[in-house]
Amino acid sequence: MEYIFPLRQHVGAPCEPVVKAGDEVKRGQLIAKKPEEALGSPIYTSVSGKVASVEESQIVIEEAGTDFDQYEPLKGTTPKELIAESGLVGLGGAGFPTSVKLNVQFKEDGYVIVNAAECEPILSHNIARIEKEPEKLLKGLEIVMELTGAKKGIVAIKGIHEEAIEKLQKANSNPNISLFPLENIYPMGEERAIVRETLGILLEPEQLPMAANAVVINAETVFRLREAVEEKKPLMDKDMTVAGKLKENASIHVLFDVPLGTKVSEVIEEAGGLGAEYGELIMGGPFTGKRTELDAPVVKTTGGIIAAETFMPGPKKIGLLVCACGANKERLEEQAASMGSEVVGVEYCKRARQVKAARKCENPGRCPGQVQKVMALKKAGAQAVLISNCTDCSNTVMSCAPQLKLPVYHCTDGAMRSVNYKMIRKFRKE
Amino acid sequence: MSITQETLQQHLKDPAIFCCRREKGLVISAADLEDPGLFDDMVEAGLLTLSDDGLRIEQVIGSTLLQDVEALTPITREVLDKVNEVEEEAAPAPAEEAKEAPEAPVAKRAVGGNGMIHIEIGKAEKFEGLTLDVPVLAGAAPAEVPAAAPAEESRAGEKTVIRNLVKKHIKINDVKLGDETSIKDGVITINKDIVKDAVKEDALCKSLELEVIHPNERHIYTETIMDVCPIATKVKGELGEGITKVVDGVVFMLTGVDEDGVQVHEFGSSEGYLDEKMYFGHPGCADENDIIIRCHAVIERLSGMTRPGPFAAHKCQDYIVQAVRDQLKGYEGEVVREEICEDVRRVGNPRVVLVKEIMGQGAMHDNVICPTEPCGILGGQKNVDCGNVPIILTPNQVRDGSIHALTCIGPATKEMTRHYIREPLVEGLAADEELDLVGVICIGSPQVNDEKLWVSERLGSLLEAMDLDGCIITTEGFGNNHIDFIQHIGQAGKRNIPVVGVSFCAYQGQLVVGNEYATAMVEENMDKGGFENDIAGCSCVTPEVAARAIQMLKNKMAGVEIKPAEKKWNNDIINNNNKILGLPETKLVESGTLH
Repeated sequence: MEYIFPLRQHVGAPCEPVVKAGDEVKRGQLIAKKPEEALGSPIYTSVSGKVASVEESQIVIEEAGTDFDQYEPLKGTTPKELIAESGLVGLGGAGFPTSVKLNVQFKEDGYVIVNAAECEPILSHNIARIEKEPEKLLKGLEIVMELTGAKKGIVAIKGIHEEAIEKLQKANSNPNISLFPLENIYPMGEERAIVRETLGILLEPEQLPMAANAVVINAETVFRLREAVEEKKPLMDKDMTVAGKLKENASIHVLFDVPLGTKVSEVIEEAGGLGAEYGELIMGGPFTGKRTELDAPVVKTTGGIIAAETFMPGPKKIGLLVCACGANKERLEEQAASMGSEVVGVEYCKRARQVKAARKCENPGRCPGQVQKVMALKKAGAQAVLISNCTDCSNTVMSCAPQLKLPVYHCTDGAMRSVNYKMIRKFRKE
Repeated sequence: MSITQETLQQHLKDPAIFCCRREKGLVISAADLEDPGLFDDMVEAGLLTLSDDGLRIEQVIGSTLLQDVEALTPITREVLDKVNEVEEEAAPAPAEEAKEAPEAPVAKRAVGGNGMIHIEIGKAEKFEGLTLDVPVLAGAAPAEVPAAAPAEESRAGEKTVIRNLVKKHIKINDVKLGDETSIKDGVITINKDIVKDAVKEDALCKSLELEVIHPNERHIYTETIMDVCPIATKVKGELGEGITKVVDGVVFMLTGVDEDGVQVHEFGSSEGYLDEKMYFGHPGCADENDIIIRCHAVIERLSGMTRPGPFAAHKCQDYIVQAVRDQLKGYEGEVVREEICEDVRRVGNPRVVLVKEIMGQGAMHDNVICPTEPCGILGGQKNVDCGNVPIILTPNQVRDGSIHALTCIGPATKEMTRHYIREPLVEGLAADEELDLVGVICIGSPQVNDEKLWVSERLGSLLEAMDLDGCIITTEGFGNNHIDFIQHIGQAGKRNIPVVGVSFCAYQGQLVVGNEYATAMVEENMDKGGFENDIAGCSCVTPEVAARAIQMLKNKMAGVEIKPAEKKWNNDIINNNNKILGLPETKLVESGTLH
């Protein structure tokens, strides 16, 4: 079976192959290195076998006889070396190289905040992993605290995950580590939302958590970081959630340690296989995931694969309301096209500020009002609106669009309907 | 949409509405409140219902929510821990000045600081380098100020008459059709066969028909009204000076169809019963007791929407009017009124100009400027042929019939020939002792948008060169002309020249474009539905409109705040301003346009 390793999997420069076609490789072996002096992370093969091809953008390996319990160990000796060598990046989706992120030294009171919000609906592999091995997460956190000189560690986790919280509390003996329960609304997992909730500091969209003496790090990243440091294991396996229009309809599966490079089709087979009918395949969560194909490989930042419900036919003309917290304009345009609707207007949430290539919300999860935007879309001729707003903003849209006779579609609809979840509309306290 | 601190300060007295769902425990700040500027739209869209129980913004800031509240619901006493005590003002300032502003003193240029007039003669034949200081006498400068002295600052609005025009209004009691054209004993007789010669003036005119309509005979069917034209003639001097005789009590009214019976103003025409189709008494129209000489023209088929067709009708009518003018020159009948019109300079007062956007889109949208005879055709130039560029006239030239109007569809807002000879804004500005009216600019409105911009830029340069302290810009019509109109306002505005716009907008005005400089606008509408109706001369510059516009200009020049207009047209605002200025109420005409 083929495993595919794109040379560019996240922010930074593409990697440079260090193998050639025909080479025999072993699980855990370096196949592409980070270019010198550039931002990036090395890539390791998750399988043993033979290099089938080295192309401009990817390396293909024909797997043969892999022992998934074994791997080529990392060579570094210090945690810092091991983290850099492991190819670890932020596994929450951003993919920022972890060694660069953790290259900080707190002078005074520093905080390491583990982002265990897992706030995209449907995705549940982070919480499942915590429930399975809470002590490993805590150990990883201690390593990060020691590395950065942080005095305090916080695990930010939604209050609804009672079992995970209980297990973490039981496993924790470190008085400097505490748990912080988050509200169950999207986007509590946004980096600055986490800082605001846990430390009470609202950062500007351009600011990093360091401005609040904090490092925010995703739960699985912490988990993999411990593997790198304590077990000298490179990053080559990934936890993920597979859900939606599968053979077992509306089911949600958590898959642990899926080898990177596995094709989407294989991952879905692991979860029981694809159903007869679906609208699109989403890699990632319902809000921020992107459309993917059956042939695409799992990469370092893959957190979910969702076979969404078939598209509802939309009206002739639709307006887009783009939010920083959800699908971007291009993604909404893609969905509108699948609905058969022509986009007649695009508005951005007032708080969605352009920061470099993307938009960031000035105050995640706190609606600034959307009525004017919705009225503008109606004026532009929209017969319905397709939105990518967070919970709070979607609630506001629902307080005006229906009165304006504008049906509301949300970028998450296909994913939510595929697992029979309630769609993101009017706010409901849970 | 949440608001800023600045917006909050401007709207302290407005209703407090949450922009989004807000939860128990929240301390209310600007970030939680919807922008009151959007309320009108929201109410209209059915998104918001303001309630009497709702608190004002100043009452809720800093209060804590006791329960979750949904978006777009008024904040009431029950959901708050406390309500800010705000002193109730005895009589809250009436929010009337939306479109127009109340009266305020106008800023005047000060007389020289030490109460002296400082005159300096740089070089004169005998007094080289002489300077003298003259005490200011009450009311007037010393008798003889040397004309050459550049003493502008000291003259503080002193009136200098440049030239006089005397308009003698000659009483006419009746009009008859007879065998010979004459005026005798207050009766105009027109040779009934004159139409045979008149029609030869232009090949496109196929027939002409004259009819005398007395005031009690107005319930009579009429084809579309193309113009109302006074009978006036020069007896001394050129246009704008000397002596002009104007007939009092009689006007010509031109109507027209083509050979197929199609109205010249094919759509938006005013055919129907005459008593219902003209706003008698308005500047461009016949007055209540006027005898109307109806001149009905039939022009070549399909020529109604071309430039030459309607022009032919005007030209042929003018042949007949000229025959009457020729008789008027020698007629020494009763002069009911001798009107002295002055072109004046009031140096030291704010320099202002009146810009009149006239039509210029071709077809019947044209104007003949500065003909030989008042309100005539011959000897004049068409503004379309002039490229619609701005042309300066003196106030007296306008008042002496320098503009013969070829108006178009949409009769309610068009300024017919009679309008210009007694234009209320020209009269008002020229008479105002606090202003220095330096001229009247007529500017055409080209058909093509690029040309509109080009013409408007020419106006901008002209305004700049005139070193103005303020201007009033008017437009006639609705729609296309408003593109020019707003550009003109922009040209003045971006040069920091205080500008007041005068136009028909009303309910239809939602379609009129705006810009940041269009902050002082005066409404001409007199239609109940706020639409352009088919009553000729209904919604135009009246003396009341002129008075409001002039006061608004003074306020703007003096820096008096003009409150922003309400979102929707509201005649109450206009009447409030009328009231402030002691003007009669603007009563709207019910013409079936109510919606």
